[in-house]
Amino acid sequence: MKKALSILLASSMMLSLAACGGKDTVSTTAASEAAQPAADSGQGESKAEEGKATPEGEPMEITIWLTPSWKGVFSGDEPGADYDSFFVEAGKRYTENVNPNVTFKVEVIPGDSRDEKLNVAESTNTLPDIVYEGAFTLSSYYHKGSIVTIDDIITEDDRKDIAAGIWDNCQVEGSTFIFPFAHMPGTLVYNADMFREAGLDDKIAGQYEIATWTPDELKEILTTLKEKNPNVYPMSLFAMNNQGDTWNLTWLRMFGNKFYGDDGHLIVNEESGVKALQYLLDLYSNGLTVPGAESLTSNDCNAMFQNKQIAVSFTNSTLFTNLQTDMTNGTIEPFDARLANIPGEPSPNSFTYVSGFMAMNTGKEERIAAAKDFIDYVCHDPELVLASKNTLPVRESVTKAVSDELLFLPAYTENAKYIYNFSNNIPGYNELRNVLFPELQAAFTGQKTAQEALDSYVEKGNVIIDEGRKNSVIYN
Amino acid sequence: MKKKLKHMEPFDLILNILVCLGAVLNLFPFYWLITSSFKTSAGIFKMPPEWFPSTFHYKNYIDLFVGQPAFRWAFNSIWVSVVTTLLVVTCSSLAAYAFSKLEFKGKNILFALFIGALMIPKEIFIVPLFQIILKFNLSDSYMGMILPNVATTFGVFLLKGFFDSVPDSIRESGRLDGAKEMTIFIKLIMPIVKPGIGALFILNFVNVWNDYLWQMLIARSKDMMTLMVGTASIMQEISPNYAYKMAGATVASLPMLLIFIFFQRYFTKGITMGAVKE
Repeated sequence: MKKALSILLASSMMLSLAACGGKDTVSTTAASEAAQPAADSGQGESKAEEGKATPEGEPMEITIWLTPSWKGVFSGDEPGADYDSFFVEAGKRYTENVNPNVTFKVEVIPGDSRDEKLNVAESTNTLPDIVYEGAFTLSSYYHKGSIVTIDDIITEDDRKDIAAGIWDNCQVEGSTFIFPFAHMPGTLVYNADMFREAGLDDKIAGQYEIATWTPDELKEILTTLKEKNPNVYPMSLFAMNNQGDTWNLTWLRMFGNKFYGDDGHLIVNEESGVKALQYLLDLYSNGLTVPGAESLTSNDCNAMFQNKQIAVSFTNSTLFTNLQTDMTNGTIEPFDARLANIPGEPSPNSFTYVSGFMAMNTGKEERIAAAKDFIDYVCHDPELVLASKNTLPVRESVTKAVSDELLFLPAYTENAKYIYNFSNNIPGYNELRNVLFPELQAAFTGQKTAQEALDSYVEKGNVIIDEGRKNSVIYN
Repeated sequence: MKKKLKHMEPFDLILNILVCLGAVLNLFPFYWLITSSFKTSAGIFKMPPEWFPSTFHYKNYIDLFVGQPAFRWAFNSIWVSVVTTLLVVTCSSLAAYAFSKLEFKGKNILFALFIGALMIPKEIFIVPLFQIILKFNLSDSYMGMILPNVATTFGVFLLKGFFDSVPDSIRESGRLDGAKEMTIFIKLIMPIVKPGIGALFILNFVNVWNDYLWQMLIARSKDMMTLMVGTASIMQEISPNYAYKMAGATVASLPMLLIFIFFQRYFTKGITMGAVKE
């Protein structure tokens, strides 16, 4: 028995050593992996003719990192659709049509460990060549010099085709770090069935429209909902962590506060900001929101809305599409869900999560050039850009082309005029997020007044901004 | 059973009821995990809670095993955990035996250094460790996941206590019979510290199985991901499907459950034996 055990132990060690040799066989290259075929656009050939690509160069494998965003090349219904399908296909087309010497390795990384992965890669000089991500999630990396500017591949046509509000999310001090590809506008969502039952028919907007209410109207709506249906919480409110905090940032702007002053420092503790937080505290203390906001996450509230326990909640275009899909396939009991803006005076505020391609500063010129050339290709290819409809396209030209498929697109396009840049692209934005929710918790639990909470946030936040600027390669 | 209850002292009865309540409380999270894996993501948050799924939603498992290489991920998790643990047990028992029974220069200082290393969290040296792995070209490989976890000071510390409790006379008698050090170690001492080995096996297995950060850094291609990393890599950050996560966690907990069932005798014995030094 003991002999057998010893043999087993030794075999395990040997096998483990042998298994290490399997490494080369599991690497995925876009060139070798068959993704779902899509019609060739011919765009690649024209690029090659323009001489942008360097087919005679050394063979290289470009690494692309992304977190799960959408499945499939153009649609999640494609057979074998996965989160990397689009990027594998784009890489394959680039290799075939533009530069046969460049192949691609696509890696899907867990979204909740993005920073750990990138920080270790940064410290060990093993950054990927390209990252596809949300603009605000990587803002600290371009201040650290880990992302190169891509202004040289942006044309005048691009600047016209993509709204200024979108470009704002991608630029710092006039330099562009992200080539925007798709976006996800954030709004409120409401249960129109509950509105009807409460006699609030006049507050319901069209099925494919985004309702706009004033702050007073919202208060009236929530009061009526509470009176007519005491079993349902009128509105969601959450501050347990930094998840979904963009909606809280937007609430704080509802009375015209600009949040950031001209010098880039926080000014949300001004009268208009305090008035907005007080508005939320009044709703909260009058039982017009879900109780226990300080210990609720946005995901808790989203699930409660889906379970018809909350009448008005938060959403973004992807969450809203998922909700409708779940209602269609029976995962969620169907109800009439519609969109609304976060109220504001004089006009509502809206924001959007812009996602796009970033060329990482790997320190190797030829790799950076190849990465930029691929970004140039994928962001200009008339067929590949259509994949942005999986969230929402940033290009007006694509919006027009797919408007028949996306029924909410005209409403989102119309709403674009309310979009503000919530991160202001400041250095240390992610750290800043971590000082807001504890102050909101203090306000919701009555430990601080609205003024005290915002004063404290501004004080701590401005230290972070100053520190971030001091260390930013853009400002120094 | 009734007879047994009748003969039970009131104090024993209360104690038994409390133990049963404790057991139910401890089992409840596991019950909730399994039942939630058959619900929809929104269903998990229903209020009042759905204690038992009204309809069984198998899609979470179908998505996990049909849409993704979850069997491969499960194999990777098992392989990495088993091999790492076997190597840890081998290295730790040899080192612990040396610290406990052999005399050599600087033994105490070296052991103090080992104990000191216990206080350094892995996150502190993760970057240099990762650099070493890259230098050896072990990124995206089983060896990259296994090797850095083999030299665990905790294992040495745990097993030294067990070896200390073995009387030196056993080793001496072995020597008198002409046995070599390795023979004494394998044939005389190891059988005595079996409960300690069992305890270390379980503790280390669980530790490696749950070592998300390191495995996430090393695994780059989909096929090299472990179950934990693979499940996390298919979660949309903006709209996480908790039921999906529960299905992944249920599958991930099964091998650990089996390991515990098979080794619990050694585990409980090992923990109590290590606590008392005669």
